[in-house]
Amino acid sequence: MSGGTADAPSDLIEDYLDRLLVSLSGSPRQVRHTLAEVEAHLHDAVAEGIAAGLPEETAQVQALERIGPVNAVTGRRGSLVRPSAALLRRLTLTAALVGGAGFVAIGGAGLVGRLLQALKGNLFMTTPFPPGTYTQADCSRWLAGDPGTRSCVTAMLADHAFDYLLQATACGLIGLAGLAAYLFLRRRWSDRATVTALPAGTAEGLGAILAGIAAVACFGLVADLETVQRGVGVGEPLSLGIAATVAAGAFAFALWYCLRGVRLRAS
Amino acid sequence: MKAEKLKGHLDLLLLSVLSRGPGHGYEVITRLKVRSDGAFQLPEGTVYPALHRLEGAGLLASGWDVVAGRRRRIYHLTAAGEAAMAEQAAQWREFSGSMARVLGASSAPALATAGGMA
Repeated sequence: MSGGTADAPSDLIEDYLDRLLVSLSGSPRQVRHTLAEVEAHLHDAVAEGIAAGLPEETAQVQALERIGPVNAVTGRRGSLVRPSAALLRRLTLTAALVGGAGFVAIGGAGLVGRLLQALKGNLFMTTPFPPGTYTQADCSRWLAGDPGTRSCVTAMLADHAFDYLLQATACGLIGLAGLAAYLFLRRRWSDRATVTALPAGTAEGLGAILAGIAAVACFGLVADLETVQRGVGVGEPLSLGIAATVAAGAFAFALWYCLRGVRLRAS
Repeated sequence: MKAEKLKGHLDLLLLSVLSRGPGHGYEVITRLKVRSDGAFQLPEGTVYPALHRLEGAGLLASGWDVVAGRRRRIYHLTAAGEAAMAEQAAQWREFSGSMARVLGASSAPALATAGGMA
């Protein structure tokens, strides 16, 4: 038996005790006592397995099968147990990473949009409202924002394009804040129970899937606008599609890197 | 026997095992297995909340000791636990006796009928 060193990465007993620690309720003393009891129990069971000729890892697996899931020890039914603190922390980290990166990607779409606006103009970026759907007051407001032109439609397009870029920039800043929160929280919640509450690569895989779906949807819209409106207003979905593709690629790379690390540690 | 079937009887089983002498959790489970000839299969972890509940009810008391190089929580029966065990054991014997009589009575005619037909 390993004796359960605190940093042993593949010790199943230690993993189980970590999960139990964050699932137990009661006073600190009750938690400590139950943890000590269960730890002694598991080490007894592993020692018994090893004495019977089993390899240590098999003995650990058998001991954990015999003791049952963590909620058997906590005495709460699995279906009624609220998510453990470790799972909530891991879900928060996942949301911060995927959400933060998603918003940063929208910010990146704003930069791509700015480039497209410079190259192709506002009519490429956004679709004008149909005649009769806006008032003279709207026109006056748009023209006031773009004193260099006398055309209501031109001013409208400039206003819409500006709004898009402004909103994309705001999303990018929110995304940076989300990623900063992720990095901060990841340092605070680096305990093994939190790290193992969800399978490795969950956030990366989820991000890749969501960004991939977003990219497909955006490029589908681009194709539709190209066909139906001869390219008018293509800039917004095109910039979002490019950003979503980059985000999907980044998440896919991160997933590959993460799973490769797991495989290397396992071997 | 499945864990579900044991649930209603776990308290009595634990009290009974500990009436033979104090013991820690793993020891209690081992004794339970040995005395039932391995018939009682339940997730071993379920014993701990039951032990804690019985202690909270004043039927068990516990203290810490070092056994075989490990710190153990040793449980023993209290006077209230002994009384509760005697009462529950009597109820169980009455129940199982009644069940045995009913099952015996229901199987007798079937056997008689089978014998008559032969």
